[in-house]
Amino acid sequence: MLRRTQERVTNMKLMHTKLPEFLKKMKVAANESPRPMEITIRGLENLSSAKMQSLRTGRIEHAVGEMTMKEDVASIDFVVIPRVPETMHTVIIKGMDKDGNVKHAILEIVNILHPTEEAELLGCDDVEDRRPGIGRH
Amino acid sequence: MAKLTYKMIPEGMLKGKYIPLNIAFINYRDVKACGITPREAFEAVAKTVDGPVGMNIFDPDVVTTTSDGVMVDGTTVFMAAADRGKINPDFGYLEMAEMPYSEQLVKEEPHLIQWDANYKGKRLFRGPDPATKIIPVHNVCISGRASNNNSATEMMNIVTMEEILLPILGQQQIIFDGDVLLGMTGGTMSVGIGMIMPEMFGRVFPTRQFPAGETAHGSGIYAQTLKAHIPCIVADKAILAKYIIRALKAGCVPGRTLGASPAVLGVARAMGIRPDIENMTERALEELASVGCTKEWMLEQVPVMTEEEILAHADTVIPGIDNPTKFKASELVQVVSVEV
Repeated sequence: MLRRTQERVTNMKLMHTKLPEFLKKMKVAANESPRPMEITIRGLENLSSAKMQSLRTGRIEHAVGEMTMKEDVASIDFVVIPRVPETMHTVIIKGMDKDGNVKHAILEIVNILHPTEEAELLGCDDVEDRRPGIGRH
Repeated sequence: MAKLTYKMIPEGMLKGKYIPLNIAFINYRDVKACGITPREAFEAVAKTVDGPVGMNIFDPDVVTTTSDGVMVDGTTVFMAAADRGKINPDFGYLEMAEMPYSEQLVKEEPHLIQWDANYKGKRLFRGPDPATKIIPVHNVCISGRASNNNSATEMMNIVTMEEILLPILGQQQIIFDGDVLLGMTGGTMSVGIGMIMPEMFGRVFPTRQFPAGETAHGSGIYAQTLKAHIPCIVADKAILAKYIIRALKAGCVPGRTLGASPAVLGVARAMGIRPDIENMTERALEELASVGCTKEWMLEQVPVMTEEEILAHADTVIPGIDNPTKFKASELVQVVSVEV
């Protein structure tokens, strides 16, 4: 039994959830809670295909459910921001021909600065930080 | 309890320019006199501000180099950002690294001949040691909306996206109650900040990424637009001229052992010093030419001015800054105190 549990945990760490499934899970966790409510999800609009860390997906789903059960909560605002507030991105400048084929490309980088979580939490005193330290994910 | 006195520029309009966040300038001597750590000083100041704030602790007793490699007195050695009293525990605080003197370092970074000539025995600080921070390249502190960038020489509100440039000599003048210009950065200074000297643990780059004579921008005619519409507080041009003269008299050559910024080129031209154009890249020359610093302008024979004449005419000798207004630094800041 112990071995099976360990295997399950290992598999969970290695598994990743599809983006549409991740979004659906969060909606269900809020909409179908014993205290059902609306949820808005922000910060993932730019992603069309992505795989989300499964172990965290379960924990986040659980956290959404927990938040719906708080008596003074009427809706959920679910925001995803970069953990490290400067992100480095590759920029692909593609030259296309008239048929839509890539004929030439220039690769560049751009670093983007983002506000940290404090900007989302102005005026809120009840913040439970469940994130592991940087490098301990 | 001790009382820490420091200088603040509040968020909002300042003499016709928009300041995008609260800014605190703290003298390191005052922090030490209070018997507290720099982080404790930042925490105390942050608690007094109900909004985003960038905070710098300036040590007047050390030396640094400007982006174009001119050695000057004093620099910000601790930096932080806070929002509504909170400093982000991972990203809100940074310390600059001391670069200990060695003959090897002077050999590798030849603009440091100024250290021997003008500042022997002074401790040198520029940017932080990359090993001490989480964000890999940029020397930045971020807490909520507040961002304190490029080793404390640029600050912004990331939500409104408004920004201000705070070159180190302007900060020095604020700490020293000296003379400053408040204006818009403009095209000339936008080009100038790209003409850097290669430095280990530099204020902007952690390694010697760009050789002397090269541009860090590498963006041709677009370089002049990069910071053009951002307000800045800089030292009066006579202050800048004084330090550039000192660097040139120590033997530095623009384009080879000093960044070929329009400010450096302007003073060199007035002193009859020829920049090392052959060592400058076509990309750097193109950016300089786009703001009027052509090869012909650099090589033009103009009457050589004395040091006194250069200082007296610094506003015309040194190009750059759009619509500047001169102020005593004390006219721009509020002196405030906090119990620590």
